[in-house]
Amino acid sequence: MKRPVTLLVNGESYDIEVEPNRLLLHALREDIGLTGTKEGCSIGVCGACSVTVDGRLVSSCLTLAVACDGKEIATIEGLAKDGVLHPLQQAFVEYGGLQCGICTPGQIIAAKALLDENPNPTEEEIKEWMAGNLCRCTGYYKIMESILAVMHGRVSAAQPGGKPAREAKIQSLGVYKPVSKTS
Amino acid sequence: MAKQSFSVVGRRVQRVEGYEKATGESRYIADIVLPRMLYGKILRSPLPHARIRSIDASKAEKLRGVRCVVTAEDTIKKPWGAFFADQYPLSVGKVRYVGEEVAAVAAIDRDTAEEALDLIEIDWEELPAVFDAEEAMQPGAPLVHDDKERNIAMVIDVERGNVEKAFAESDVIVEDTFQSAPQWHCAIETIGSVADYSPSGKYTVYMNTQTLFNARYRIAAALGVRETDVRIIQSAVGGGFGGKSCDDNNAIVAAILSRKAGKPVKLINTREEEFLAGSRPRVFMKIYVKMGFKKDGHIRAKQTRVVADNGAYSAKAPAITGVAALRHDTCYKYSDVKTQAYLVYTNKIPTGAFRGFGNPSAEWAVEQAIDEAAHKLGIDPIEIARMNAAEPGYVSPHGNRVISCELKQCIDKTGELIDWKTKRANKKPDTGLGLACTVHVSGKRHFGDYDGSSATIKLNEDGKALILSGEGESGQGCYTTMCAIAAEELGIPIEDVEMSHADTDLTTFCLGAFASRLTYISGNAVRDAASKVKQQLFEQASDMLEANAADLVARDGKIFVRGAEQKALPVADVARARLFRNGGAPIVASGKFDADSVLQDSTRYGNESGAYNYGCQAVEVEVDRETGQVKILQYAAASDCGTVINPVGAEGQVEGAVAQGIGYALIEGLRFDEGRPVNPNFSDYRIPSIRDMPPLKHAFADSYEPTGPFGAKGLGELGMDPTAAVISNAVFDAVGVRIRTLPITPEKVLKGLKEKKDK
Repeated sequence: MKRPVTLLVNGESYDIEVEPNRLLLHALREDIGLTGTKEGCSIGVCGACSVTVDGRLVSSCLTLAVACDGKEIATIEGLAKDGVLHPLQQAFVEYGGLQCGICTPGQIIAAKALLDENPNPTEEEIKEWMAGNLCRCTGYYKIMESILAVMHGRVSAAQPGGKPAREAKIQSLGVYKPVSKTS
Repeated sequence: MAKQSFSVVGRRVQRVEGYEKATGESRYIADIVLPRMLYGKILRSPLPHARIRSIDASKAEKLRGVRCVVTAEDTIKKPWGAFFADQYPLSVGKVRYVGEEVAAVAAIDRDTAEEALDLIEIDWEELPAVFDAEEAMQPGAPLVHDDKERNIAMVIDVERGNVEKAFAESDVIVEDTFQSAPQWHCAIETIGSVADYSPSGKYTVYMNTQTLFNARYRIAAALGVRETDVRIIQSAVGGGFGGKSCDDNNAIVAAILSRKAGKPVKLINTREEEFLAGSRPRVFMKIYVKMGFKKDGHIRAKQTRVVADNGAYSAKAPAITGVAALRHDTCYKYSDVKTQAYLVYTNKIPTGAFRGFGNPSAEWAVEQAIDEAAHKLGIDPIEIARMNAAEPGYVSPHGNRVISCELKQCIDKTGELIDWKTKRANKKPDTGLGLACTVHVSGKRHFGDYDGSSATIKLNEDGKALILSGEGESGQGCYTTMCAIAAEELGIPIEDVEMSHADTDLTTFCLGAFASRLTYISGNAVRDAASKVKQQLFEQASDMLEANAADLVARDGKIFVRGAEQKALPVADVARARLFRNGGAPIVASGKFDADSVLQDSTRYGNESGAYNYGCQAVEVEVDRETGQVKILQYAAASDCGTVINPVGAEGQVEGAVAQGIGYALIEGLRFDEGRPVNPNFSDYRIPSIRDMPPLKHAFADSYEPTGPFGAKGLGELGMDPTAAVISNAVFDAVGVRIRTLPITPEKVLKGLKEKKDK
């Protein structure tokens, strides 16, 4: 029997109907369409599915959707504002904290939860906290570097879309008229 | 050597697809949804070896929500494979390992598909099975394939020079046997596909493969259609490491389901399926090695005997076994070498390509034997490595021709990074130093007589370039490297270069990501295309600037006459002017490259790659005599990959490779019980976490490969090759215990300490 559930995801309210055994991971990805949260191991070990529920870091592959009724959920999609990356996202891009990117949403959500709770963790505390987020590409050195860069304010100001703004031009009788690329 | 100053190459640039990855917007295979899409599930063999008497799927077919069930009867029953055609999409008459694909279901959702699997009834006749490669070679052992005598899939028997004479001329001989271990890729994303069959006869398959055109060929062969009846579109790939080279049946089964159901079918491996029958794990080998040395430490002779476990079917293991037998002879200067290698079928998961491709197993054995010799001779291991190291111009006994080679520089840099001399002189109890060297290729000619690439670049009217290539991006950063190479050649900012997703219908033939080939091989093709695009730009600009094309320079997105930078034209203006005129044309060109290598002959002789990359790694460990625990105090790695195109990416490759090497050395391993994996999940098969990573220092050699794009060579696999041997050599230096079987567990160290004490 499906049950109605309201999830408050990244500040927006979603009314969905789910089976009682529906995982939060699948509700987010398949019922709401937020596929930034990833499935890696399905048993709560790898951290690829990390999200926060009422500010607490959880593995969404071990969390039932019905248990999150009325709760506030934060996923990777909620971090960038108006196309401008959150400093942690910017740091992962700038410092090579991501390679294939499949674990990255979970890494960034976990790192954000850490810094929200403890803005100045030691390297040991970072390791302890981040040990639940596996990465097979980076060897973790640049993930550590990315987190430290945010803590120490060494991240560049992000640009919309992560790239320098450019103008599009149209061709008209040999005269270039600049037009704005986006509204 | 022709060193140049670069404007993009060598700069710490951001990942070109970094924004999409950091925001979760990148579309991986599990994120792809098509209208009317069904979910597939595979019924896998629970037995290691059995005949299928009958399959009854009638109950499953009747389950509400099931759209079709497929078995071998829905296939052409023709085997396929990368080198040997010996595996079927769905079992024909017999299963040969636990996890083998027997039947599959497509249903409206995952739960229904799963439920349907339980309703398929199979009548099995269990057969005797064999799980150990050496046992499988014994007369009378159960046969995995009836036509393969003593289960031998392949034999290599090669001697160069006169090994018997060389051993007679040696002052010191070491002899030992080492066993490497299976290792799984454990990409955080499992293998998956979404197949969409059209009744017109075309299969469109979205895949997270790292080798699109090889996938296209294999899927077409398994389905019995022409290559172009299959279109492969690469999704974002969540880590490859060799495991996503389409040596498994996932996409083929999805295609068969989609054809029968008449709807798109998504088929994603669970983590357990990935261990049982997904990515093909590292080929595990038993390697006997005998080496002869002169008193001064020079290598005089080398002999190996390799027994490699192929598993039930041949993926890339035939080539991998060849690498394990022969490649290391390009690392040091050898004259007399002999090797016998056997690739043997067993009733286990087929083994295959994993970062390193035979090198980690070979180096686990040979680099430990060299270390044993150093201790026997009383010579510092770093000196032995240095005096035997390959040099530019070296031709290996098997015909590998080395152009650039900075192995000696790597050894020296590694020594400095770890502070080898000081630490060795002030050795503390229970701490030890270990070191090993490695060689890898930059592409390998083994899929037909071709190790080339091609790419097309179009320069848009806004001055931005788009690279079209079928090599794909498997997560390693290939797009960024290719964009940097194109930007450098075109003289435009890297922000103005994009790379399109790989799609076999839209790009020219490309072999894909393996053999550390993309920077070197694809990089050369991209550079060639960019240089042709630049010619077209210069033709146009020479009219506009009233100058000779030969006098033009492109830099920072502008074209100008050398010495007259103030009168520069934006590239966009030139491109626009070329298009919008009478007789106008877009700026587009294709480039190509094929490595100056040869297909090895029947004796495995021949220069296998266009360029060779080298490395040296060292470690300081501390061994706890009470617990047997090995603690890494400091790790150091120096790599010769020629010019470093993108330092962020290159460092990331070394760091990630060392992490996988440390996992391989110390913690990883799938255990089998009568052919059944007992720990196929991430809580029991542990991979390194951030807590497992030691302090790491690394450096790149000052090196330039004249045949590479801007002097670059490959790098991806190099960092993982020697790591296990490096750590084992350090354990020996610390407590005098030689570990011969991977992984180096505390139990084995304690056992070794006890045996030493009892002696």
